[in-house]
Amino acid sequence: MTSACEAATRVLPGAAVIELSGEVDGSAATVLTAAYEQAVNGDSDLGTVVLDFAAVDYINSTGIALIVSVLARARAERRKVVASGLSPHYREIFDITRLSDFIELFPDLDRAVSQLTPPAA
Amino acid sequence: MTQVARSTPRRLDAFTLASEPGNERLALARVAGTVQGLGLSEARLERLKTAVAEATMNAIEHGNGNRAEIPVEVEVTQKGDEIVVAISDQGGENAGAGDGDSTGPGGQEEPDLVRKLDGEQSPRGWGLFLIRNMVDAMHVTTDGQRHTIWLTMRTGGAAHDERM
Repeated sequence: MTSACEAATRVLPGAAVIELSGEVDGSAATVLTAAYEQAVNGDSDLGTVVLDFAAVDYINSTGIALIVSVLARARAERRKVVASGLSPHYREIFDITRLSDFIELFPDLDRAVSQLTPPAA
Repeated sequence: MTQVARSTPRRLDAFTLASEPGNERLALARVAGTVQGLGLSEARLERLKTAVAEATMNAIEHGNGNRAEIPVEVEVTQKGDEIVVAISDQGGENAGAGDGDSTGPGGQEEPDLVRKLDGEQSPRGWGLFLIRNMVDAMHVTTDGQRHTIWLTMRTGGAAHDERM
């Protein structure tokens, strides 16, 4: 009934996307850290990191702590973090923890990407 | 007569879990199945599930120290329009404080995201905060080594406004 956290990353103009799946709990630490590092790849011009939670079915308090750590690191590197695909329940948790004060929330990845990346020439 | 009948607690389920990381998901699923159909909205059921998972995780890790042979006990009762989930461990007064807070068991500091982002507080320490914000009422009792967290959710829905 449990599923390990997995992450797929891709880079768009000006933004990196981390698509998460499975469970974001304590066991996700290595996956999330590696995904962040792969996504930004030392590119100081990469201004935004998108965390997509559409395929995530469980986030616990340790997972919230991991997201806080990613946000803290991104802020230290002057990057913005946005999130997409959160269920209504986890949007509520982002609200009560105040994560949504620092992470802009989008209903889905398409809408996040369309607002973050410049239109094709 | 009706008042007496309505206020008499009715046990819906009782079970134990080995104190092994991840077993909070078993508690979550079983409690959700037990209370299904009792009048909780989907949003409030999700809140109860999160509270049960966090409280069970605390019992496993902080109460019983991840010692599999010491069970976490879970009991679900209904009393009138209240569903009460009791989660017990053997950690005594020091149990259930939460995850990675900076003040140690029993004295958890209120999580402050700004301080966490500034490195002044551990990124962890959200467990009890989440529980408190998910249910209509939460209280803790200790009887010797037995430490119990009581989670109450009203089925009427009016007592705790939908936030979404």
